[in-house]
Amino acid sequence: MLWRAVRRSPLGLLGLTLLTLIVVMAVGASWIAPYNPTQTVGKPLEAPSAAHWLGTNDIGQDILSELIFGARISLLIGVLSAAIALVIGTGVGLMAGYFRGLVGALLMRLVDVVLVIPFLPLMVLLAAYLGQNIWNLIAVIGLLIWARPARVIRSQVLSLAERDYVLAARAVGARDGHILIRHVLPGVFSLALAQFVLATSGSILLEAALSFLGLGDPTQKSWGTILYYAQARNAFLSGAWRWWVIPPGIMITLSVLGFALLGFALEEALNPRLKGRGATAEWRASQGHGSPGLGGRLKRLFTHPTSQPGSAPDVG
Amino acid sequence: MAHFITGKIGQYALVLWVAVTLNFFLPRLMPGNPLALLAGEEVGLLTPQQRTELLAQVGLDQPLPVQYTRYVQNIATGNFGYSYQKNKPITTILAERLPWTLLLTGTGLIISTLIGVTLGALAAWKRGESGDVGLLGLFIFLESLPAFWVGMLLVALFAVQWRVFPTFGAVTPWVTYTGWDRVMDIARHLALPVTTLIIVSVPGTFLVARYAMLGVLGEEFIVVARAKGLRERQVLFRHALRNALLPVATVFTLNLAFAFGGATVIETVFSYPGVGRLIYEAVLNRDYPVLQAAFLMITVLVILANIVTDLLYPLLDPRVRHAYTQAIGGA
Repeated sequence: MLWRAVRRSPLGLLGLTLLTLIVVMAVGASWIAPYNPTQTVGKPLEAPSAAHWLGTNDIGQDILSELIFGARISLLIGVLSAAIALVIGTGVGLMAGYFRGLVGALLMRLVDVVLVIPFLPLMVLLAAYLGQNIWNLIAVIGLLIWARPARVIRSQVLSLAERDYVLAARAVGARDGHILIRHVLPGVFSLALAQFVLATSGSILLEAALSFLGLGDPTQKSWGTILYYAQARNAFLSGAWRWWVIPPGIMITLSVLGFALLGFALEEALNPRLKGRGATAEWRASQGHGSPGLGGRLKRLFTHPTSQPGSAPDVG
Repeated sequence: MAHFITGKIGQYALVLWVAVTLNFFLPRLMPGNPLALLAGEEVGLLTPQQRTELLAQVGLDQPLPVQYTRYVQNIATGNFGYSYQKNKPITTILAERLPWTLLLTGTGLIISTLIGVTLGALAAWKRGESGDVGLLGLFIFLESLPAFWVGMLLVALFAVQWRVFPTFGAVTPWVTYTGWDRVMDIARHLALPVTTLIIVSVPGTFLVARYAMLGVLGEEFIVVARAKGLRERQVLFRHALRNALLPVATVFTLNLAFAFGGATVIETVFSYPGVGRLIYEAVLNRDYPVLQAAFLMITVLVILANIVTDLLYPLLDPRVRHAYTQAIGGA
């Protein structure tokens, strides 16, 4: 199903290729990496050479090996925090779309609050209290980026809840929980998958920013943590930035781009309804939540609308 | 419209309340010494007398509702407590830092919105042509860049390698410039951080503006304007762009949280003395009260910027303006 969805989109294929390469790198790190990234294997700040393709850092660790092992941490944090966001987002989206009354209104209020609050400073605050380890980072990111998936999923549920088979289930007296899980949830599954991929793109970027601010786990270096040390140890003064700063940034950019392109392709292929008019307002409203908003924007790029309803603002 | 305004104000009040309440409960629920979490790791170094004063001030011995009321009262009167780390009242620290963050984020947001909207409108106008496709590709790529990394590269190239701009800070240390020289000094220090913020903020605005413009360009009134024989430029900027600005304004408000977050990492890269850099310093020193106050400050800034945009909305859209005047007249 996944493959069929991506096959027709060249950019989706590009994303998938990038991700495959990075995942292979992360999984096979122990075999691929030339050195143990935690050991001093050279002189400090050695320039790239045959022995150390990307040189060494301030304490003589091999930077290429750090990058290869760093893929594990960056991807792990990205994927797991996106998974948390997806579970919360799907739950909130299902309930907010299905229970229209007070429950739905309260949940959407909550979504709006999470969208307005400056999430990066809040993540920093939470992570600083919780302490530096990757599980705390995963929790903190996941707990603050679920609002966009929740909005998108809710908009789908709103229409699913009006379908005949749902009404029929209700008519024969099925309980709400049963209807939600057996009839509505399967309908949002593919959309949720696309949201998950897009959330991963955003959380990799957020993890990098948090680690750069010194909240990463010093014993398990991600790409962001490598850059934190490069900044803290003045890589700029020695010219070491050429091999110490540039490569980790490229790795972050490629993985963020990979997940974003794949997510866009999935969203478009699995959910043709998003191409229509109804999703526009929802899409607009869901924009801007930092990088997780990327998917919506990308999606729009490739579905050039020839006409669109008058741009009336969402005012009550 | 009246409903819209009250709804918005209610939402912002809720956000503020959530932020304040989180701030209150976080240090009290975390494991560890609550006094250290409330006053910073420096409490270990306090004299017994300072310690007693501090305990009384935070009121840890009081029941939670009493503590909470006192906390909210303090915040409302602008009393954020004292930073033992920096040996200054936190309100004073915030007042020193605030102008720099406003300068950086304000300048960055305004310039990136202007660039994003103009390029987006032009790209939509030339849709499918090589310029449009090129800009799209460029901005998809820029959107994936980590803000702090862009900043690091700019420092390496423009400040260290070519020495065109200063490497850090907001003004040259140990020199007191006055008048025009001071303005230029500040501008030179602002150049790289603001460029970083623009590079990471333009893609979002561009993509939204372009999409909104594509939608508007397909509408009937555009066909009419063309049929009247108006020049393309007039059609684009007089008729289409004004309508496309509405979704851009909506996205602008949602980007505020992103921009102020981005400023946190950008200020850190450039050691720019704003509230964002303050957050980094507080994390480094485990100065929790400052961290909390800085978070609250940024939340307030985001809310204020949201309100300003909401108030500008009627100026952009005559339909909203009409509804607004009616609501006021009818009230």
